[in-house]
Amino acid sequence: MKALEVKGIVKQFPGVLANDNINLSINKGEIYAIVGENGAGKSTLMKIIYGLYTPTAGEIFVFDKKVDIKTPHDAIALKIGMVHQEFMLIPRFTVTENIVLGDEPSKGIVFDYKKALGQIKELSEKFGLSVDPAEKVANLPVGIQQRVEILKILRRGAEILIFDEPTAVLTPEETEDLFKTLMKLREDGKTIIFISHKLKEVMAIADRIAVLRRGKLQGIVERDKTSEVELARMVVGRDVVLKIPKAKAKVGETVVSVRDLTVKSKRGIIGLKDVSFDVHAGEIVGIAGVEGNGQAELVNTLIGFIRPVKGSIMFDGEELKLLTPFNIRKKGMAYIPKDRKARGLVLPFKSRENIIMGQHTLYPFSKNGVLNNIEIDKFATKKLQEFDIRPRDIYARVRNLSGGNQQKLILAKEMSMEHKFLLASQPTRGLDIGAMEFVYHKLIEEKESGVAILLISLELSEIMGLSDRILVLYNGEIVGETTPDKTTEEELGLMMLGLKRQEKVAQ
Amino acid sequence: MNNNIPFLNASIAQALDYTAPILFAALGGVMSENAGVVNIALEGMMRFAAFFGVWGSFVSGNAWVGLLWGIGIGIALGALHAYITVKWAGNQIISGVAINVMAMGMITYLLESIFKTTGYSPPVAYFGAPASKVHLTFLKGIPILGAFAELTILIWFALILVVVLHFVLYHTVLGLRIRAVGENPHAAETLGVNVFKIKWFAVITGSVLAAFGGLALSLGTLSSFTNSMAMGKGFIGLAAMIFGNWTPFGALGAILIFACAQVLQLFMQGTATGFAKLIPLGFYLSLPYMLTIGALIGVVGKAVGPAADGIPYEKES
Repeated sequence: MKALEVKGIVKQFPGVLANDNINLSINKGEIYAIVGENGAGKSTLMKIIYGLYTPTAGEIFVFDKKVDIKTPHDAIALKIGMVHQEFMLIPRFTVTENIVLGDEPSKGIVFDYKKALGQIKELSEKFGLSVDPAEKVANLPVGIQQRVEILKILRRGAEILIFDEPTAVLTPEETEDLFKTLMKLREDGKTIIFISHKLKEVMAIADRIAVLRRGKLQGIVERDKTSEVELARMVVGRDVVLKIPKAKAKVGETVVSVRDLTVKSKRGIIGLKDVSFDVHAGEIVGIAGVEGNGQAELVNTLIGFIRPVKGSIMFDGEELKLLTPFNIRKKGMAYIPKDRKARGLVLPFKSRENIIMGQHTLYPFSKNGVLNNIEIDKFATKKLQEFDIRPRDIYARVRNLSGGNQQKLILAKEMSMEHKFLLASQPTRGLDIGAMEFVYHKLIEEKESGVAILLISLELSEIMGLSDRILVLYNGEIVGETTPDKTTEEELGLMMLGLKRQEKVAQ
Repeated sequence: MNNNIPFLNASIAQALDYTAPILFAALGGVMSENAGVVNIALEGMMRFAAFFGVWGSFVSGNAWVGLLWGIGIGIALGALHAYITVKWAGNQIISGVAINVMAMGMITYLLESIFKTTGYSPPVAYFGAPASKVHLTFLKGIPILGAFAELTILIWFALILVVVLHFVLYHTVLGLRIRAVGENPHAAETLGVNVFKIKWFAVITGSVLAAFGGLALSLGTLSSFTNSMAMGKGFIGLAAMIFGNWTPFGALGAILIFACAQVLQLFMQGTATGFAKLIPLGFYLSLPYMLTIGALIGVVGKAVGPAADGIPYEKES
C-alpha cells in the first residue's frame, strides 16, 4: 500500500524553481530518506506536503486518495505529522501543555490539566518514548525536546511522520536514540520520511533513498544496492573528493602560545584546567572532543570575550588577555564561529554590509565615520565572485542565503582582513558536502600561506583529515596529543570519552 | 488608638481608588501582550473611554449608559489596533503611538465642540455618588476591612477581574491558547490553533479593559472629564504589567506598591512635621513615579515577557 504519492510537483518562487516536477511514491511502513544539498528543495517539498506552501502544480495522494492540502490542519487530518528542523515548542510550557495544545482535554471551558498529564503518560509508555509530562520544556536536553515533538504528532494520530533534518541539533548519542525510535515506529507500521544531507545517517537508517539536486529528482535508490560514494555523486552531481589533498606543514614561528590556561565556565565551575599548547605558523592544530568539554570556554577566551582565572595566552608576542576583542582582531585573529547565525552574521543585513563587518571602521570602507558605499560595493562584488557566493547579489539579505553560502560569506569576510591566526570553531557545522569541500580547501590554502590555524571540531574525520597535530580535550583538560598518522579514530574516540589518557602530555 | 481606624480605612480606600484605573490598564496589557500584541495605546484608550463615558452619562443622565459608551469605544479602538497589527502585521508601537496621539487631539476637540468648555466637562451621573456605591455597612469600623465598606462598583470589578483573568489565562483552554500564541505563534498554528482569531480576541478584550480604566477615572473617582485625565496612568499600568511579570496578580501587587506611595504622598503633604516638612512638596508629588522607575530598574532585567511579544505574526506563503 502506498502511504504517500506526489506526482509532478512544481513550486516556483520568485526567481527560483524550488521543485521541478517531483514524483515520489512512498510505501506504508518504510523509512524513506530524501537527501540533497542545502537548497536542493527538500524542505520546500515537505512544506508542500504539510500544507505550509501551496504547490504551483502537481498532485498529492495520501493512502491512495487524491488530496488537497491547504493548511497544516488539513495535513494533520490526513494523519501527516512533521517534526520541524527548528522545534515548534514553547519552552515555558510543560511537556504536557506542549503536546495537548490545540486539542486539549477539558471540562467545559476549563483546561483539565490532570487528565492531560495522564494521557501523556499513557502515550509516552505506549510508544516507549519516556518523558516527564510535568517538566518544563526549557529544562529538557535537545534530544528529549525532539521526543516531545514526536509525541505531539503521534497524539494527533499521525501515520506518516516527516522528519526535517532531525539530527542537525543532536549529539551522537541522541542520534542513536532517535534511530532506535524511528525503527520502533516503523515496526508499529508508521511511515517515516527522513530529510537529511548526512549520507552516513541515511545509509544507516533508510530503506529507500530519493536524491534531489537543484529542485530536480536525481534518482531513487535502495539502501542495500547503493553506497555512500554513489549517493555523494548523485547529490553533488560529480565525483566528490572528501579526501583532503594533504599538504605537508611548513611549520614556522610560534604564533599563539597558551600556558596553564584555567577558565571558569558560564555556570561558574572550571571549564578549562591548566591547558597549554602552541600553534605555529603554517600548521593546523585540531582540537578533538565531545561538545561541552571546554571548547566554548577556549574559544571565548581566545577571542577576548571572557578573562581566564589564571594562565597566559601570548599572541604574536603580546599578552592576549589584556586586549579587547577589537584589538585582538586588529592584531590579526580571524574567527569562524560555530553558530554563524548568532555570531558570524547580522541576518537582516545585506551581503555587502556583512562582508565588511569588522573592517567597517577602516579605510577605504569608511572615513571620519562616513561609509564609502562605492568602495564597499566594489569590494563586495569582488568577494562574492572570488568565494562563489550565491546569489551573486550584494544586496541580498543574508537571512535568505543558504547555510553554505552564509558560511562562505563568513570565510570571505574573515579571510580578507589581515590575519596570522585563524580560529575555526566547527567550520562545517550543518553544511552539505559541496560547501564542506569548499571550507576544507580554504583551510588548506590558508595553512599553505602560513597562517596558524586552530581547528575545533566534533567530526573526527575532519580532525583526522585536516590536522597536523591533534589535541584531545576532555572535561576541560588536554588528555592527549598526537598526530593523524600515529593514531586512529577509535583511539581518539576513547580519549574523547575519558576512557584513555596519555600519561604525560608532551609540550 | 481608636480614632486612627477611620483614618487608616480612609487611606486604604483612597489607595484602592487610585489603584482601580491603573489596574484596569495593566490587566488590559496583560491580556493583549500574553497573546503577543504590545498595546502602548492603553493611555489613549483610557482617555477616549473616560470622555465617552462622561458623554454617554451626560446625554442619558445614567452612569450605566456612560459605561456602555465607554465599552463601545474600547471595542472600536481595540478593533483598530488589531486591524493594523494583527490583520496587516503592522508595527505595534507605531499603531499604539498613533492611537495615543489621536486621543490627545480628538478628545480635546470633542470636549470643546460638545460641552463648549476647555479643560473639563460639566458633572454627570457617576458611580462614585454616595447612593451608587456598594455599601457593605457591616464592615465599617473594622480595621483594614472597613476600607471596603464603601467602594464604587468599578473598584470591585477591577479587583474581581484580577481573579477572573488569572483563571482564564491559567486554567482554561482559551488561556492556554492565548499564552501559546504569545510564546510561539508558529507552533500554535501548526497545531491547528487559529492564531489570528486569538489575537483579535485578546487585543479587543484588552482594549475594553483599558477603557474600564478610563471609566474608573471619569465616572468613578470624579464625576466629570478633565483634559488632564489619564495623566500617565495608562503608562504606569504598562509598567506595572512588566513589573508584575505579565501576570494579573503580579500587576496587582505592583500597583498596590505604587498606590501606597501615592497615599503616602497625600498623607505627607498634609501632615508632615519636623524634618519631613522641610522636604519640598515636589518630592512627595514625584514619589509614586520615582518608585515606579526604581522598581522597574530593579526588576526589568529579570522580568521576561511572552517570547513572541511585539513580533507581528505573518503566515508563510
